[in-house]
Amino acid sequence: MKSRRLGVSLRIIWYLVLFFLYAPLFVVVLYSFNDANTTTHITHFSLRWYRRLFGNAQVLDALKLSIWLGLGSSVISAVLGTMLGYGMYIHRGARRLAWLVWIVYLPVATPDILYGISELGFFTDVHARFGILRPGFLTMLIAHVSFQLPFVALVVYSRLVGLDPELFNACRDLYANGWQRARFFIVPTLSPAILAGFFLSFTLSIDDLVISFFTTGPGNTTLPIYIWSAIRKGVTPEVNAAAAILIGGVFAAATVAMVVQYMKALTRRQRNALL
Amino acid sequence: MAEAVASRQATGYQGRFLGLGSDAWHILGVIMPGVLWIVVFLVVPMLLLVGIAFMTNGPYGLPEQPFTLDAFRQLAGFGLLGWGPGNLLVILRTLWQTALATLLVTLISYPVAYYVTTRPPALQPILLLLVVAPSWSNQVIRAMGWMNLLAPGTPLSTLAAKLGLIAPELGLFPSAFAVTLGLVYDFLPFMVLPLYASFERLDHAQVEAAYDLHAGPVRAFLHAVLPQTLPGLLAGIMLVGIPAFGMYVVPELLGGGKSLMLGNLIARQFQDASNWPYGAAASIVMIAVTLVGLVVLRRLSRRAAGGVEVVL
Repeated sequence: MKSRRLGVSLRIIWYLVLFFLYAPLFVVVLYSFNDANTTTHITHFSLRWYRRLFGNAQVLDALKLSIWLGLGSSVISAVLGTMLGYGMYIHRGARRLAWLVWIVYLPVATPDILYGISELGFFTDVHARFGILRPGFLTMLIAHVSFQLPFVALVVYSRLVGLDPELFNACRDLYANGWQRARFFIVPTLSPAILAGFFLSFTLSIDDLVISFFTTGPGNTTLPIYIWSAIRKGVTPEVNAAAAILIGGVFAAATVAMVVQYMKALTRRQRNALL
Repeated sequence: MAEAVASRQATGYQGRFLGLGSDAWHILGVIMPGVLWIVVFLVVPMLLLVGIAFMTNGPYGLPEQPFTLDAFRQLAGFGLLGWGPGNLLVILRTLWQTALATLLVTLISYPVAYYVTTRPPALQPILLLLVVAPSWSNQVIRAMGWMNLLAPGTPLSTLAAKLGLIAPELGLFPSAFAVTLGLVYDFLPFMVLPLYASFERLDHAQVEAAYDLHAGPVRAFLHAVLPQTLPGLLAGIMLVGIPAFGMYVVPELLGGGKSLMLGNLIARQFQDASNWPYGAAASIVMIAVTLVGLVVLRRLSRRAAGGVEVVL
């Protein structure tokens, strides 16, 4: 009796929490399809905000910039992060390299706002002194790579820890040199992890407001920055439409990441079947 | 360089046969690009920020020589008009909002994490995914969703006004309440996940034993459930409390002028208010609190895990 009552109340709490989690996102999507000019009442279905949005050159430029920034920074992060994750694995247990863990976790633990302003100070100073790195796309790209890279390294690292160490011995026994190991063993084995890291990076990049905001220069507006500046003047149905697109995009990217994850499991199973 | 080689020889760990042999240059070539990127573009900027805190505010808001403690004096509340409690209040408010949000997140997460473990195992990853998925969307958009829901004239605000909780012409947003709500919303998944991991390994016999000894639900929870889920709880507090303290977007959007948090105070000094040394000094407070929080929580979780090293 007692446990059934507990079960029922748990279920009620669960559905309330789901409602709590999805209501704000649902409302954003709802208002983006709503014909009314305000966001206080519902009239009827309309695509006019999307039409207006796609007629807005500023929004399209922002979207393009966000995608390029995400792709560029994710490619660099995937390369450097994979190397770093591999190095962390090689050096795990080396006492003198214990600081490596701190370096990798620093970007993960730093609050966005501190990240943003310290980058702002740094780039301003470097530009004043050396005339390079004027705040803009390049500075944003550098900042994005610096916070995405550790995530790729951690994903790659955890994949390597899960591998059978004997595989590395096999490589040695076959007299594979450094490049051959990388080409025929490390990269093929790690490719699901690298891909997962790439998508994670891309999601983090598309998602970021604060760090982009403080490292960007005039004329370089990402979609989150555009939405941010727009809602400071008040939430409009048009901004809801832009946000709804971003919600859709992130959920799509997450689905891709999940498929990659599933494929990773599949290849492992296939390998087991082969052995 | 030489150190890395020496340590590899001294510890005799797998690095030797893992492939790169004695070629330490090769190993450094693998690690260094990433490490240098983080050092040059994050560690150096952070050190620079600490340095800025000790400089003078120039006429254009940019830091200048000579080095002083003016920024810290200003942060402690000493201004042109004498001492005021404003900054102290911001710091206290930030601590209060963080503590309140962490407490609420914990209270919600316990039943949610437990509920997930009572479902069929095949279903559990999907249920967890349902909890985590909203946090993948943009922070700004999540806050905007609440702006839509809580603005003056919306059903929730009208209801609150009818109940006499707020003045009729106001909405539930902007307010300190909206900030707390936004924080709870953003960080809920980060408590549910570690708690779920703890609940998954829960020894139910201990709970049964507590009931057999005529413990009520409260005592059964305190003596059988809480100690077993403590590692998850501490990990959750670390994942919720630390970022909540440094939060900028939520109070900026959902809070009014009277619910500023430390992150907003800092940001303002680098924007319109333009007083970099002052902002940098406030940043040092944020760094210090974050570090103290991390060290204390790490120590507590190490103790809870029985001396076992905890990752993160």
